[in-house]
Amino acid sequence: MNPSSYVVLSALLFSIGAIGVLVRRNAIVVFMSVELMLNAANLAFVSFARMNGNLDGQVVAFFVMVVAAAEVVVGLAIIVTIFRTRRSASIDEPNLLKY
Amino acid sequence: MNVYTPILVLGLLAFGFAAFSVAAATVTGPKRYNRAKYDAYECGIEPTPQPIGGGRFPVKYYLTAMLFIVFDIEIVFLYPWAVAFDQLALFGLIEMFLFIITVLVVYAYVWRRRGLEWD
Amino acid sequence: MSPLLASVGAETETAFTMPSINYYAIAPILILFGAAVVSVLVEAFVPQRGRRPVQLVIVVGSIVAALAVTIDLRGTRLVTGEGAIAVDGPTLLMWGALLVIGLLGALLMAERSIDPLGDAFAPRASALPGSEDEQEFTRRGFLQTEVWPFLLFALTGMLVFVASNDLLVMFVALEVMSLPLYLLAGMARRRRLLSQEAALKYFLLGAFSSAFFLYGAAMLYGFSGSVSLVAISDTLSAKTGEGSLVAIGIALLMVGLLFKVAAVPFHQWTPDVYQGAPTPVTGFMAATVKIAAFGALLRVLYVSLGGLRWDWEPMLWIIAALTMLVGSVVAITQTDIKRMLAYSSIAQAGFILVGVVAASPQGLASALFYLVAYAFTTIGTFAVITMVRDASGEATHLSKWAGLGKKSPVVAAVFSLFMLSLAGIPLTSGFVGKFGVFAAAIDSGNTWLVIVGVVASVIAAFFYVRVIVLMYFSDPTPDTASVVIPSAFTTIALTASAVMTIALGVFPQWLLDIITQAGVFIR
Repeated sequence: MNPSSYVVLSALLFSIGAIGVLVRRNAIVVFMSVELMLNAANLAFVSFARMNGNLDGQVVAFFVMVVAAAEVVVGLAIIVTIFRTRRSASIDEPNLLKY
Repeated sequence: MNVYTPILVLGLLAFGFAAFSVAAATVTGPKRYNRAKYDAYECGIEPTPQPIGGGRFPVKYYLTAMLFIVFDIEIVFLYPWAVAFDQLALFGLIEMFLFIITVLVVYAYVWRRRGLEWD
Repeated sequence: MSPLLASVGAETETAFTMPSINYYAIAPILILFGAAVVSVLVEAFVPQRGRRPVQLVIVVGSIVAALAVTIDLRGTRLVTGEGAIAVDGPTLLMWGALLVIGLLGALLMAERSIDPLGDAFAPRASALPGSEDEQEFTRRGFLQTEVWPFLLFALTGMLVFVASNDLLVMFVALEVMSLPLYLLAGMARRRRLLSQEAALKYFLLGAFSSAFFLYGAAMLYGFSGSVSLVAISDTLSAKTGEGSLVAIGIALLMVGLLFKVAAVPFHQWTPDVYQGAPTPVTGFMAATVKIAAFGALLRVLYVSLGGLRWDWEPMLWIIAALTMLVGSVVAITQTDIKRMLAYSSIAQAGFILVGVVAASPQGLASALFYLVAYAFTTIGTFAVITMVRDASGEATHLSKWAGLGKKSPVVAAVFSLFMLSLAGIPLTSGFVGKFGVFAAAIDSGNTWLVIVGVVASVIAAFFYVRVIVLMYFSDPTPDTASVVIPSAFTTIALTASAVMTIALGVFPQWLLDIITQAGVFIR
């Protein structure tokens, strides 16, 4: 199968993730959309690694997975703290920081 | 045939370990039966019917999930190292030790700060 | 065997060669990272009461040690770690600046005598704001000493970020730098709801932008088959075609980096985060992230995309002009001083971008000088804000600053100095910085950008001077805040930044000499 289809798929996933961040209102869903974007980048890296015939892209994918996990932990910690304070995970409700 | 000998040995070892564990547990472990142990599946949580529209989980699950993710994902670096272990030689071993030590530091922190206790 | 496995198998057949790493050249990074790991262990094993002094020794000791090595490395110009890390003049200069500013930031974060309740951080970040638990923790004098490992990890990430010579290392460093800052932003002792909200916004938008950075890196990797900045540059000059991959890649990469420098239109997070975060953290972050992000941006543009400057320059012209104008104009309408300074930092990012788009060695040197000057002034500004307080904590509303010049002349004078420097008045560091970037821009033919810059400077001068007028030419009201006398920590940080602001304004030549010797990025 032609690896370039995977690049197209990754672009689609990236766009779905980006749109998800922009339109969804639940912090956890927004965050899942960000993760989808990171994984779309992973798919692009791996497909390009296949097309370019070297392993750099696969190595990058490993690092991105670990970084994404660290990001999940920090993000969930922040979202859970906010949720415990406000009993809601909506990103519209925290609106104290407006002038 | 020779090629498959290590796999065979590994399979035997795995089977042996499983059998040994089960046998050793029955001999050495305490036997305290309670209602939870007779449930359909036993993983520490009583199965409860989900409320309509999905229930809410205690926030503790998130903590456990976070810890799991952090310690689980480190494996991705061990796999490539294990594949090329013989070529990486001493250098790879030392690097991997340094890596595991940093993970252990985090483990020590979580343990000392009671992150591993459920309540 | 499938072709994929075959190719992977073939790859593992090649003999392993030891990577050549010059450990001394990256010693500042290793020292800080080692100290951060030790400081996590301190959190785990040292009892509650003893943690703070031990952590302070580790933080100050490791930063000073890293600074000593950085100074000893001067003149070094090499690429190490198989091309992943570049230790050259600009790297060392930015390392020095980051470490000094990091030290001043650590001093601000260590301050305990300004707030009667303790330091600037929540006693337990996990306790519910306003709960009985929280009051109990406050009463027993608990401190969240995890801020120290966070500071060290963030600083480590910044050092790697400015030195990274490939996009993978740059991405990992970006996250190592950002993740602790997201958490630090949410740990304020007072106004915790604002602080947590700032952390959430900073985190979600930061993660969003780093995903853009990563996807841009993926596109450039797809084009060139490597994530190394030099290899990408070589491929760009050798290979034509597949222009869309390059264009998408550069654009997405720029989104990620411009978010971190807070350039319009990627600036929306800045006011919220600057206002909500604990003030010492705001000062530390405002100064150091600016240096680190511009360092990485400069390296990517100069090392990797230098051959395509005709393509990215127009984009950056527009962004620089927008950033200067939007930052300056919106700052006028602000009534909260931290928010006003956030918009001011956006405008300052625009001025630095003027130096960046000059795309010449002179432009690089002027941007570096501006960054150092701006960092010292900024951390001093936020040091003053931590001291101006009323009963409810920091008095950040501008109306509470009325007549401060009559109540506390010395602090008001120091703050006026910082405001004048940010406005770019002669004899302060801000003037030399602004003059440098504008001169570089004129030399490379961007006269209209300089005109926009001067207009924006005039607008910006309005709101900087307005604070001075407010402090000196109105009478104190009952609402006027008072200045709390700090301990040695804040005093040292404030004095150092004030001295640097004047020194770089009156005798800028020594730093200009250092920057000239630092030269350009290694390729």
